Amino acid sequence: MQVNDSNRRRRSIGRLGLACLVLQLALAPNIGIADGRINFALVFAAYVALTTGGRTGVLCGFLGGLAFDLCTTGPFGLMTLLLTVGSFVLGMEDRNRIAEDLSGSITIFMIVSFIVTLVYHLAMFLVGQASSFYDVFVLRTLPTFGLTAVAFLPFALVGSHGSGAPLSSIRGGAGPVRRRPGKFDLGNL
Amino acid sequence: MPLGGNGLKGAPGVRRNEPNSGMRLMIVLTAVSVVLFTFGARESSSGGVFTTIRGAVSVVTTPVRYLGVAITAPFQGLGNVFSNLTANQETLSDLKAENEKLKAENSKLQESQKTAERLESLLALQSTYNLTSVAARVISGPTDSWSQSVTIDKGTTSGLAVGMAVTDSNGVLGQITECGATSATVRLITDENSGVSCMIQSTRAQGMLQGSADGSLQLTLVSVDQTVKVGDNVVTSGLGGVYPKGLPVGKVTSVSKSDGALYYDIDVQPLASTSTAEEVLVITSLDEDQKASSEDISSADAQDTTTSASSASSDSSADSSASTGE
Repeated sequence: MQVNDSNRRRRSIGRLGLACLVLQLALAPNIGIADGRINFALVFAAYVALTTGGRTGVLCGFLGGLAFDLCTTGPFGLMTLLLTVGSFVLGMEDRNRIAEDLSGSITIFMIVSFIVTLVYHLAMFLVGQASSFYDVFVLRTLPTFGLTAVAFLPFALVGSHGSGAPLSSIRGGAGPVRRRPGKFDLGNL
Repeated sequence: MPLGGNGLKGAPGVRRNEPNSGMRLMIVLTAVSVVLFTFGARESSSGGVFTTIRGAVSVVTTPVRYLGVAITAPFQGLGNVFSNLTANQETLSDLKAENEKLKAENSKLQESQKTAERLESLLALQSTYNLTSVAARVISGPTDSWSQSVTIDKGTTSGLAVGMAVTDSNGVLGQITECGATSATVRLITDENSGVSCMIQSTRAQGMLQGSADGSLQLTLVSVDQTVKVGDNVVTSGLGGVYPKGLPVGKVTSVSKSDGALYYDIDVQPLASTSTAEEVLVITSLDEDQKASSEDISSADAQDTTTSASSASSDSSADSSASTGE
């Protein structure tokens, strides 16, 4: 019998958030392609939104963005805004999409991740942090998007194979996860 | 167009208007984010609340950042490997040129470091012996093959005069023999015409240190009834008033005594780098306590008297031997 253990869920999300924060501080600055760096705040927000969704996802998106803004030198509140909206979009279905539809989850993550990254860098361009759109798009947006997408894959794979269950199965009696093919199921290609 | 597997609109899984959809929370937090962004953008570059918070977060998270650097440091070279594999000829040429430039700069810096170390040694010597001196730089070596001398870049305009003692960081180097307005010639202690009143530091045996044509030093006029050993330090005695008393000069490398001789044959290795000195101190004046005291002079005279007496004694013995036909 599944028990709606909200404390356990909070702890799991907290541990994941802490891990992503450490990775953002320790790993992201040291791994890069061109000027691109991994955005672990986006990974965290997307993972929670795709596995839990709803208000929890939105709140985690907000907090993840806030942590990102605090740890970087960009405009304060920009990533907070983008991840809040992005988490809402990713978590609209309010169910564990990763466990049910991995390929579809990855695809929608790619779309939202690209938009968030592009808007963030465009905003930076508009506030005068860069002088060339080419630099913004080729040297920053695309590498950041690529690295973040690659960084998300292990989380998604773990989340789809039961290790991510603490975030999903503890959600009020969801029961055993039944995989169902999604529109973006890459396995059907 | 549906976004999710079941579409966003009208799909069973989508509950946008249900309490847990987070729409209201999203609106509230979006508004908060916009407020944060606005205040953050209006904050002056000199600092503010957000800058302070960021600074505090940076301080708190610094250990984690160091940890990341430590962990990823071994892998940093991998990027270079790939870069090198794909580098074109122009890049390699640029890197080679930069490498040469850096080598030259490195050599220059090493030279500066050595100079600084030598100057520090000079300062230490000046401080140790409480010398009143002027620092100078050697600008040329011997100008002819007949003398062992160097030229320094200070002269009368800097208060130098003929007869002043010159030392490097290790010990006595020589004495000014010619002094121009902006340069001076220093006769090295290894010069054949050089002579410095010295003594063995441990036994206070007095003697005269003389140079030679081959650049070696001999301590002469040390009586055989004095005790001299290899390795003894030779220091200036202060007699003559040119060199301060007790300044290091060299070490005894060999001591020999001929049959019937009154004085030792003592070879001395100079401490000063007579051939490679670059920075020197010119001792411009001596304090009273740096000059030989009357006791030192009496002691030197006593040694000389003893030697003379021994010499007279051996002379008389020789005369008597000769008279007796021995």
